[in-house]
Amino acid sequence: MLGPADRLVGQLYIEGDLRVSGTVEGALEATGDIVISDGGKVNGAVTAYNRLVVGTAASLVGSDVRVGRLTVEDGATFSGHVSMGKEAVERRPPPVEVVPEPVAEATPVDQPVDVVIPQPEKPIQKGKRR
Amino acid sequence: MDVQEAVAEGTASAENGEVKRDGRKQFTMGPSDIFEGKLIYDGSIHADGRLEGEVRVSGNIDVASGAQVKALLEGSNVSLKGTIEGAVTARDKLTLGKNARLSGDVVVRRLQIDDGATLNGHVRMGDFEHQASGQ
Repeated sequence: MLGPADRLVGQLYIEGDLRVSGTVEGALEATGDIVISDGGKVNGAVTAYNRLVVGTAASLVGSDVRVGRLTVEDGATFSGHVSMGKEAVERRPPPVEVVPEPVAEATPVDQPVDVVIPQPEKPIQKGKRR
Repeated sequence: MDVQEAVAEGTASAENGEVKRDGRKQFTMGPSDIFEGKLIYDGSIHADGRLEGEVRVSGNIDVASGAQVKALLEGSNVSLKGTIEGAVTARDKLTLGKNARLSGDVVVRRLQIDDGATLNGHVRMGDFEHQASGQ
């Protein structure tokens, strides 16, 4: 339970249910229900394996919303991409891995560049896929 | 907006299906009616049966629980109970009833989703003050 004066910044994974009346900046994931009620504000991805409820005065601005069931009460603020049903939550995405993509190798040397201006402007074709 | 452009197939002709309610026109489809095409209508629509294409109305859209809809829907208050595939714009409120199954992107001013409804798509909340009569 996050009360009206409580604030969470970051990621939360919880076994069970969660009730939010405070402010959340970040990702929430619960194996049970998530209820955002009263003046609760969530800004981030939300995954509720069972059910998500967004109450009348509550706000959810999520990038990605994955839920088994969803209730949005009239008056609530709600936006985001919604995936719903068993499939949506079963195949859960792995926790945010910050793996920097391998930078495209800037080796334009392979080509027989006879031209005078060696400007590697478009390495898109060469680097990423071989 | 005084355009009526109905390309209807089957029994859902504008003449047959039109009922006056509260002084406003209503286009009504029954469970065995089929509509295919584009409807731009100054009034409301009650859709049942099968609806395919595009529906833009100045009033409300009401989709019955047995209806199969594959269409772009735009109206003031949109209340969905059936199976809908397509983008939905509600200039005022969108209500998804408990048996509604909606796959498509949604733009609304207000939103109510009843427990049991299924929604897959992108939801955006916006204000339609200047857009109301634009399209």
